[in-house]
Amino acid sequence: MSAIDLDGVTKRFEDVTAVSDLSLTVEEGEIFGFLGPNGAGKSTTINFLLDFVRPTSGTVTVLGHDAREDSVAVRERTGVLPEGFDVYDRLTGRAHVEFAIDSKDVDADPDAVLERVGLADAADRQAGGYSKGMRQRLALAMALVGDPELLILDEPSSGLDPAGAKEMREIVLAEAERGTTVFFSSHILEQVEAVCDRVGILRAGELVAVDSIEGLREASDADATLRVTVGERVDDDVLAAVRDLSGVDRVERDGDDALRVACESDAKTRVVTELEDSGVSVTDFTTEEASLEDLFLAYTERDEDVGGGADAPADDPTEDAPVEDAEVSR
Amino acid sequence: MSWQAVARKEFRDAIRSRWLHGSTLFFVLFLGGAPALFFGLLIPADLRQISNLFGFFADLGVFSFSFPGLLALILGFVALSTSYGSITEERESGSIKLLLSLPNSRLDAMVGKLLGRSAVVVVALLVGFFATFLVLLATGTRLQLGSFVPQIALTALVGVAFVSIGLSLSALADSNREATLATMGLYLVFAVLWGSISEGIPKLLNYAAEQVGIGGISEVLRVKIGVFLKYLNPLKTYETLAAQVYYGPEQARLVTTTFGEQAILTPVLEESVPFYFSGWFLLVILLAWVVVPAVVGYWAFERADL
Repeated sequence: MSAIDLDGVTKRFEDVTAVSDLSLTVEEGEIFGFLGPNGAGKSTTINFLLDFVRPTSGTVTVLGHDAREDSVAVRERTGVLPEGFDVYDRLTGRAHVEFAIDSKDVDADPDAVLERVGLADAADRQAGGYSKGMRQRLALAMALVGDPELLILDEPSSGLDPAGAKEMREIVLAEAERGTTVFFSSHILEQVEAVCDRVGILRAGELVAVDSIEGLREASDADATLRVTVGERVDDDVLAAVRDLSGVDRVERDGDDALRVACESDAKTRVVTELEDSGVSVTDFTTEEASLEDLFLAYTERDEDVGGGADAPADDPTEDAPVEDAEVSR
Repeated sequence: MSWQAVARKEFRDAIRSRWLHGSTLFFVLFLGGAPALFFGLLIPADLRQISNLFGFFADLGVFSFSFPGLLALILGFVALSTSYGSITEERESGSIKLLLSLPNSRLDAMVGKLLGRSAVVVVALLVGFFATFLVLLATGTRLQLGSFVPQIALTALVGVAFVSIGLSLSALADSNREATLATMGLYLVFAVLWGSISEGIPKLLNYAAEQVGIGGISEVLRVKIGVFLKYLNPLKTYETLAAQVYYGPEQARLVTTTFGEQAILTPVLEESVPFYFSGWFLLVILLAWVVVPAVVGYWAFERADL
């Protein structure tokens, strides 16, 4: 049985199609990453799973239950870290976890759960005084109550510092180890790469691709760019020699003291070695990570890999902040 | 069913709010202070019995005032304020996503909120009535518990009715602002405009009947319709029921009526109280004000995208 099964799901809000004919299956025990820029429809899709939002058409099945008719049965076995949530300001951290324990009707020790997410010290403080990261941890604690079979995490590391994001990752991996299916969304490529078995890529309400993490790496590496800072202007014949190296697509000058090299990731060392062997002094080099936008291009340009239609609808789904949209499409 | 979990959460949350602390303090001052002033200072010892304050109705024909009426007016305001944001505020902050990502159905959420917030209002009210009780003992006032205890129960019930009304508006509104405005508007209707509306409708019916040529409506029927409509207002339902526990139904049905209405209604009531003016029927109306708004609110909430 699959953990999540979306079949031909479309959601139209008044003047906007947020999700268009989405079909997606997540198997039990999988860590599935749901990747896409803000506003792509990730949260809307997650909201289908929890019956927060009802699709205009299509069916949604979670853990074998219809997400609309049997939503409580779904949520009894699912832990959720929602996006854009807030805590109850006047209740303590422990009261929140007790509320989760009460609602799920399970026996659990609130302090043990809070300990696990690193909030044991703040358990008796009112959650209104928590930082964004602490609120995020608190919601995760509530999600973990009752050892759910499915974890749904919507942008789990937003508001967390790098250490917090790492802890979050470790908890997710530990849960997956236990056999829990994990479905989480992110607009940051590296987060998804770090933990997922498979990835679905959503753009403007359409599923652009579903791929294994290897496939994703390949696609993202294809467009990796190496920026090499050099001591002096590089001769044309040295440029030609670099260009001839295997795995290198393109080399160009970036001013007099730098080069931009489009290459596969395993060719990076060869490029630097070749430059140094030719007497060029390399002072620094950085890899510019493939942006999500590059990744979409990588998928949409490789037609045979494309899962859904490549053309974005003219409508701009506005479920998230438009500021973030601009950032992704710059 | 996990409505108990929601109710407990609501209660724990609301019990810490400053609004509630303020309301409780107010009820203590009002329900303790008024009898202290009245029985302690104003009236002589031989007149000290509960009905002289909690059963105080002054009818000046065009203008009527009663202590239960005043209490209901304040209580209605407090109860609406306690509940009108219970869903919209959670929607706007996003905490509703925590509430509903747990295995709570939307019915659990509505029932839990209704009970949790009602408990908060009733507790504040009971603390106030406890102050009353202490003052009554201290001033040696005759307790008349057979009337006073039912009145306390009725007061709690009208409080719950207004919690239900506020909750329903919260479920129907798209934003907290909308819920606020709707609540204020509805309160205005209950507190001020209802009387004119309930007097206007029979006149309008009479006019319409005359126009279509089936003759006018008899004056008795007009008054009956008008008074019946008046008692559909939960504030007035409470007021007349509170009067009934002290003075019986015949007098109690007249406490908020005008002299003109009284002249026509008194013989009708003296003959026999029609079922639609009976205490039980009015109690059903009050209970309907608890149930119907909550059901309508649930109906809307169940269908809404968050």
